[in-house]
Amino acid sequence: MNDRDREQFDDELTAKARELAGDVEPERDLWPGIHAAIHESMQGPAATASVFGASFQRYLAQAAAVILLVGGSSGLTYLAISGDRDNVSPVAAGIELPLDAVSASFGSQYTLGPDFQDARRNVEGRLETELERLSPEARAEVEANIETIRTAIAEINKALAEEPDNVLLQQLLLSSYQEELAVMRKVNGITNTVMLRDDI
Amino acid sequence: MNRSTRTLNLTLALALVAPAAIADDVQRSVDASPNGNVSISNVAGSIEISGWSRNQVDVAADLGDGVEELIVERNGDDVIVKVKVPRKKHRDISSDLVIRVPEQSSIDVGGVSADIEIDNVYGEQRLHVVSGDIVTQAFGADVKAESVSGDIELDGDNREMLTQLSSVSGDIDAMQLRGEIEATSVSGDIVIADSAFERAQVNTVNGDMVFRAQLIDGGKLDIETINGSVDVDFDGDVSARFDIETFNGSIRNCFGPKAERTSKYAPGRELKFTEGGGASRVTIRTLNGSLTLCKD
Repeated sequence: MNDRDREQFDDELTAKARELAGDVEPERDLWPGIHAAIHESMQGPAATASVFGASFQRYLAQAAAVILLVGGSSGLTYLAISGDRDNVSPVAAGIELPLDAVSASFGSQYTLGPDFQDARRNVEGRLETELERLSPEARAEVEANIETIRTAIAEINKALAEEPDNVLLQQLLLSSYQEELAVMRKVNGITNTVMLRDDI
Repeated sequence: MNRSTRTLNLTLALALVAPAAIADDVQRSVDASPNGNVSISNVAGSIEISGWSRNQVDVAADLGDGVEELIVERNGDDVIVKVKVPRKKHRDISSDLVIRVPEQSSIDVGGVSADIEIDNVYGEQRLHVVSGDIVTQAFGADVKAESVSGDIELDGDNREMLTQLSSVSGDIDAMQLRGEIEATSVSGDIVIADSAFERAQVNTVNGDMVFRAQLIDGGKLDIETINGSVDVDFDGDVSARFDIETFNGSIRNCFGPKAERTSKYAPGRELKFTEGGGASRVTIRTLNGSLTLCKD
């Protein structure tokens, strides 16, 4: 192929190329959405505030969740410790518990802390001692209901693993831990009140 | 050894062998303050308490075999009634007590597997039982009742008071109350009806709850459950801001506004609206429990 032939070939190729479509419609076009988002963000203060508001709300929700968790777990630890500090059985610490403790975690991101775990173990140890005083039926009833709470805790934790920032789930989880402690302490309290009172 | 000496020896021997044995039916009375405190403890059996007009505590007891002692003592404004049993054998010893107290007395009652029934006592009541039922009335003085597996039934007379009721698996029924109420349960159901509250807090894990009462303007109603259903039916008009959220339950609202999804990808729903002037506040949270919100 001489130079002239080469030039002719190039011209034909260019002409064929020009006959092709100038743009190709993709199967799933993302641009309209991206364009709309850019357009919205450039609409002025209201649109900016909306975008800002959405992210602010998200940060606010996350901040609320953190405050809830820190405050809540501290509160729970206090709840577990208060009232039991003077009554913790020295035997309790060594007891192997038949009531398996569920993982005390907030979804995948948070834990309740070692203080809470220690306090909870103490309350649980005392419960085991108190349960021995009850009839087999009453004992079974208490164990079944604590299991109910623990199942709920596990269920909420599972949901939290999917949505770690969900404030509703955080609140319900805290309440459930609180309820678990309350039930354990209630059983301890009632049996103590009735059977071990020295004042009467 | 003559006959009278043998009899005396036999009597002494029996007294030494069974020092704790006492008669089955016992009646005791002590004078009491008109508005003092009466503490009562009976591990198993039943406890019936009624208020009367005399300044006296009267105890009629049918004591079970093995009871060590029935203690009925007064110490100033306090009267103590206790069925004393050996700590290790208490489960098999059941005693029934019928007690009358001055009607303005406060009472503090405890039992393990003992049913408690109270009538016509106007003072404060603190009632604790593991597996027995509690049935009582209130007349404006605070009531705190807690049980593990027993049911709790409380009837008030619409006077202002603080009511605290908690059970683990027992049901709670509270009627004709006014003021403040806290009711909690794990698997027991809670029904609160024919009442009016400035503040009400109701929690369950699996138990269902029914709240058919008036929420006084400026009041607060907090309800929380994991898996229980919630039926709120206000008596009369209500003026409140509603903040309702469920992770996986349904919401039916007779007031009009519909619940909205909290996220495109998660099952949560929330419902926020104001009814009337929004003077009170209603907060309801559930995980899976369904919710119905209405008014009469």
